[in-house]
Amino acid sequence: MFNKQLTRREMLRNTTAMAGIAAAHSMLPMWMPKLAFAPANSAPRGDVLISVFLRGGADMLNMVIPHAEDAYYAARPKLAIPRPDTSGSDPKVLDLDGFFGLHPALAPLLPIFRGGEMAAVHATGSPDETRSHFEAMDFMERGTPGDFSLHTGWIGRHLSTLDTGNNSPVRAVGWGTAVQASLRGAVSPVAIKSIADYHLGGDLKAAARMMTAIDALYKLDSDTLYASAQATTSAIDVVASISYQNYQPQNGATYPETDFASALKQTAALIRADVGLEAACIDLGGWDTHVNQGGVEGEQSSLMTEFANGLAAFHTDMGADMAHVTVVVMSEFGRRVQENGGGGTDHGHGSALLTMSGNLTGKPVVAKWPGLSPDALNRGEDLDITIDYRDVLGELMTNRLHNPALDKVFPNYTPTVPGLFKS
Amino acid sequence: MNRRDFLKGLGLGTAALVTVNAEAIEKALSVAPSGAFQPATTAARDDVAHVIARLSFGVTPDLYARVKRIGAKAFIEEQLVPENLPDAGIANRLQIYIPILNQNGGVLAQAENKMRKAIAGALIGSTTTRALYSQRQLYERMVQLFSDHFSLYIGKGNVLFLKMDDDRDVIRPNAMTTFRTILGASAHSPAMLVYLDNAKSEKSHPNENYARELMELHTLSVNGGYTETDVKEVARAFTGWSIEGGKQSKNGETLFKFRKGFHDNGTKTVLGTIISNNGEADGEKVLDLLAANPSTAKFVSTKLLRKFVTDNPTDALIQTCADAYMSSNGDIRTVLRTIFNTDEFWNAPPKFKQPFEYSVSVLRALDYDVQDDATFVRSMTQPLTSMGNIPFDWPSPNGYPDVGAYWMNNLLPRWNFAISSANNKIKGAQAGFDSLNKLLQANNVSTDSSSALAFFGQYLFGRPLTDAEHETVLQFADAARGDEQAQIEAGLALLMASPAFQYK
Repeated sequence: MFNKQLTRREMLRNTTAMAGIAAAHSMLPMWMPKLAFAPANSAPRGDVLISVFLRGGADMLNMVIPHAEDAYYAARPKLAIPRPDTSGSDPKVLDLDGFFGLHPALAPLLPIFRGGEMAAVHATGSPDETRSHFEAMDFMERGTPGDFSLHTGWIGRHLSTLDTGNNSPVRAVGWGTAVQASLRGAVSPVAIKSIADYHLGGDLKAAARMMTAIDALYKLDSDTLYASAQATTSAIDVVASISYQNYQPQNGATYPETDFASALKQTAALIRADVGLEAACIDLGGWDTHVNQGGVEGEQSSLMTEFANGLAAFHTDMGADMAHVTVVVMSEFGRRVQENGGGGTDHGHGSALLTMSGNLTGKPVVAKWPGLSPDALNRGEDLDITIDYRDVLGELMTNRLHNPALDKVFPNYTPTVPGLFKS
Repeated sequence: MNRRDFLKGLGLGTAALVTVNAEAIEKALSVAPSGAFQPATTAARDDVAHVIARLSFGVTPDLYARVKRIGAKAFIEEQLVPENLPDAGIANRLQIYIPILNQNGGVLAQAENKMRKAIAGALIGSTTTRALYSQRQLYERMVQLFSDHFSLYIGKGNVLFLKMDDDRDVIRPNAMTTFRTILGASAHSPAMLVYLDNAKSEKSHPNENYARELMELHTLSVNGGYTETDVKEVARAFTGWSIEGGKQSKNGETLFKFRKGFHDNGTKTVLGTIISNNGEADGEKVLDLLAANPSTAKFVSTKLLRKFVTDNPTDALIQTCADAYMSSNGDIRTVLRTIFNTDEFWNAPPKFKQPFEYSVSVLRALDYDVQDDATFVRSMTQPLTSMGNIPFDWPSPNGYPDVGAYWMNNLLPRWNFAISSANNKIKGAQAGFDSLNKLLQANNVSTDSSSALAFFGQYLFGRPLTDAEHETVLQFADAARGDEQAQIEAGLALLMASPAFQYK
């Protein structure tokens, strides 16, 4: 087909040049410093930050339940979970502090709460009044509610304002097929769906040559795309080095076979391999429960089971290493207090945020609870926000991630300290 | 990338970097979509290559010569009137899918999960086949655009089955009509009514899901001038817009049904207009108001400009198209024609392909022939899953993102797709290397790897390779094991994995 006579001279020329490129390439350790990186502050690395985003507006009122509120039961004749104390038939709310308790599907997390390594912040969220999923998510992930002028995400700004002496290509990983908006602005975050598949096709030699040639071509291109290509080729090397197929979860942990648990397991593997992971983002979708939300059982309960089993397995796996890990779990908004006619809930405002860490101060639920009486509700129908979510993340930045540049991460906002994280 | 290059990219001096790294990144990101980060090597390409890249799913061995012959503008005119374009070949290609595609979703749903894979396969396979082979390429691009604009997620409940009807009866027949027409069809679509929960919305507890997304995602856009009260009022207007299915309907079909008993008869006020009780006409009146609203004109224009011109169109350009929308009562072809007549279209900066577009462009460029549809669809599932872009599989109602910044950090599955495609490893289909060879002959290109790859570079990128590109590709190809064909295939893999081919 493609007939071609390669002259001996051409052959020699090509071989020599190829070898030159390969040599120049291999002189640089592939995942060593990629970009000049000189943020204003430097500090040793803090905890590995794992940000879990429940997409769709999770109904946290049915996850961290104010069971001491009569108004909760009045507003949700179909959806309410029976009180922990009584009369109520099993399964019922799993009490945390006499006022709040967990949905029974979150039972795998109860021992972690009891052990002081999980806490909820309630009546929290992003203060912007939007009820749009996309706007609310965007604001939360930017960390600038009501303001679209910044294009970076809060985790991206954290990483780009703090020099931890770490230039690993897997410093920031977005699990999935695209990098989450909160990671935007980190130097070349990579999206990874599956570590096992994260390699170039073909035999090893051909793949290595392809990587070199790809690197050379992308170098000719724009800086953004080259940075992304370079992060990719470097991450391929790192990921290959950890032999994920041999990863053994510790302490008898068994991860369920779900995408969510798989992302957590892969995060655990990267942490244990000590390859420079500082921030990971994981999404769990399906929380937009306008109809058939269910109470003790049903759609939301199934999601909670998936969520709790994954997170509990990760906690078991990490064991004592939880001292160096902080997980935050949030959603773009809460849902309306009053259930609707379709057995679901419409878009609301205030929500809860969950955190898992080996360095919590100990209260299972932190809240300035505004109550659910009609005059206490936002717009007369939604849970109000009394703790800005940036207060929680701000304290996390300071106490767990050693980042003093709060004004860069959350510009035009001065967080107050909820007292959740030990320093 | 060394430090100097990075600084250059950010347009900042060394001194600035030390203290303002975060701001520099911020600044760079803020301008990224408008072209600051377009590929460094964007020598002007000719109009023929440009219209092919923008109106179609990518060049094929035949297409460039044909468009060259009739002219870029004639190609646009031809594509704007798809009903006059012969497309007989596609029927054969779709034959295997037709028995499923022509069934009512409610009937399919009764086959339930046994058939789920086959049905999803028919939906995704027919969409891919049309993108690959239809002569009506612009029309298929519009179907793609509106499938995302009125996004349905086939992973939710029974939506998969009902999407068959939506694709056949809502999106495809109306993709080049007026916006009001396709909006109305979507509002009556059982798939949409189920997906956004309106089917269960009754006067005692109106469900706000559809009402909100109708204004936020389908018409006005999030800052388009509606309030939370408007959401509630629109929800009331649409109470009773529901479905019937199963035993209640003929032959078990799922169909639109207005349920009078569900409808809120009270007076509603939507965007300041009073809507008095007219039953089903209340919803129609809301659709009239929304489709004729200038915010909708701008939002729809922005979507079209983003697809065909640039990620971040200017306000002036949006206004030009919105004016065309308003003066034509939302005629889609009129807005398209307006777009294709702007300087901004002809001088558009490179646009990063969505993964589905990228994959189809690879297969089209290699003149792939699908021979076993079921196997082909299965073999496409893995790469499209890794890239995150299986048709109709975006889990929220806003549709797949159409800006490059979203997709740029997941390059690896694209590279792997280029490699497997150029190695003829797409199962159920055959790469058309003969066509490529004929293309060389027809253009009097010598078949040595240097000349052939220079030609294929031009063919794929729509512009000549730079010397540096040519040298890199040639060295890689010549070092590949095997005969000349293997070497050229290796070169093609690299060309298609390269940055320039990620853009259209």
